[in-house]
Amino acid sequence: MVTRALKLAAISAIATMSLFAGQYNQQAEKDRQALIKYFVAKFSDPVKNAARFFPYTPTEELKKNYRPVKDWHEFAKGVYSFAKGPRQQYLELIEMPPYEDDVDDGEELYNSTKGLKECFPKPAEAAVEYPKYDTKKHEVVTLTMAINDCVVKHGGKPWNPYKGKIAKVEAYFAAQARDAGKVINVKIPNAEAEKAYEHGKKYYFSQRGYIDISCANCHVQGAGKRVRRDYLSPLVGQVTHFPVYRLSWEELGTLERRLKGCIKNQGQQPPKPFSEDMRDLIYFLSYMSNGMKVDGPDVRK
Amino acid sequence: MKKTKFLTIAACMALAFGASAVAGDKTDAILKEAMKVDVAKTCDPQKNSVTKLLAVAKKYNPTAVKLGVEFKRLGMTTTQYIQETQKALKAKSKTVTLLDKNGKPTDKKVSVDYAAERACKFAVRALQEYVDAQTTYKLAIPGEGYKY
Ligand code: HEC
Repeated sequence: MVTRALKLAAISAIATMSLFAGQYNQQAEKDRQALIKYFVAKFSDPVKNAARFFPYTPTEELKKNYRPVKDWHEFAKGVYSFAKGPRQQYLELIEMPPYEDDVDDGEELYNSTKGLKECFPKPAEAAVEYPKYDTKKHEVVTLTMAINDCVVKHGGKPWNPYKGKIAKVEAYFAAQARDAGKVINVKIPNAEAEKAYEHGKKYYFSQRGYIDISCANCHVQGAGKRVRRDYLSPLVGQVTHFPVYRLSWEELGTLERRLKGCIKNQGQQPPKPFSEDMRDLIYFLSYMSNGMKVDGPDVRK
Repeated sequence: MKKTKFLTIAACMALAFGASAVAGDKTDAILKEAMKVDVAKTCDPQKNSVTKLLAVAKKYNPTAVKLGVEFKRLGMTTTQYIQETQKALKAKSKTVTLLDKNGKPTDKKVSVDYAAERACKFAVRALQEYVDAQTTYKLAIPGEGYKY
């Protein structure tokens, strides 16, 4: 009798487990869809929807400066998806991309640095394999971290996580992935991973720092608006194209570098590049770019 | 039935404060105290001595560091504002020299009062924001609390 009850309990436990397996991304998927819906509503017709989304921008300005975006995949271009002037400048810039030498350097580093070929046998895959939740290490592993771990494991000194060699290798991986038409597909394999996702999401939507402002204030509710002379990019599609060559840096930099800058602007000490806060934030951001093509490296102002 | 409902509410509250619950009882206690501080009054150098402002900053800032929410302004963290103000007091100086991003002194100076006020406000506000965010962050999420 008892064993029978136990058996039943075990069976139902397994049934529940398999029922939930593969569904750890349910909330993340809901979040992503809701964000896409919001941004499409906002950008599909800025003039018509001005009262809802751009109440303080004169109609003339909306007509002159904004380009309607109906397909959410276009948000991979960030500001350049909707802001006419900057888009034009961007299109001219990429006729001679300033990152081309970096991609070549990255390939050379990939071939010459001990360990990289073993750790990342398929460069195009590496670009979309990370960030991933490592179920053995019980943590999110970002591409920057994976490359550094690999270099160190093979006897090298750690690389600067913000620029230089790591950014170049990442540029090579991204370029290979773009050529192969790879699509971002971040996975949430278990409950722990879901927790990491939620943690990153909370980081993103929490007001912080001297300015008491959240990432979302600028990149969700604020997306499309201007701070000083800059337009603000939407969260969806924000990390399809790293590393980036920024004109203000005059060089290539990693996603960690970009995020460090934004967090400093909030008036807070940025988390360390491999801290849980940073890795989980990147995990969340990357999930929000799921379904979009890898589009890196790229250029930004 | 009633009991389960109560338990659900309790669990939700525990979740809402999940981060601090994980951080431990001591952190929880400091957070609770920080919520009660009236920053404008407590950190006003006209009302309280600079030593007192620094004591407040030193009480709360380590928790902000631990939770990853320490402020940084004009290139200086709260920790640095505290340290540099202490140095100025020791040297009986009326001004605090601001540091650059590598921790090297710049040619910019602020008054000791001003630096101490910043240290005090930054330390407390970082924790107040942290606690507020545990509940307010959902209000900014499309599909959850944010309506448009
Ligand atoms: C005060 C407004 C503001 C806040 C707050 C802010 N950012 Fe930014 N962010 C900007 C501006 C301005 C840019 C450059 C223009 C753009 O691409 O949006 C930018 C760019 C970015 C980019 C690069 C986009 C691209 O197309 O390359 C990412 C990623 C990003 N921010 C993430 C974040 C994250 C994550 C946070 C919170 C930790 C955050 N930002 C907080 C203003 C802000």
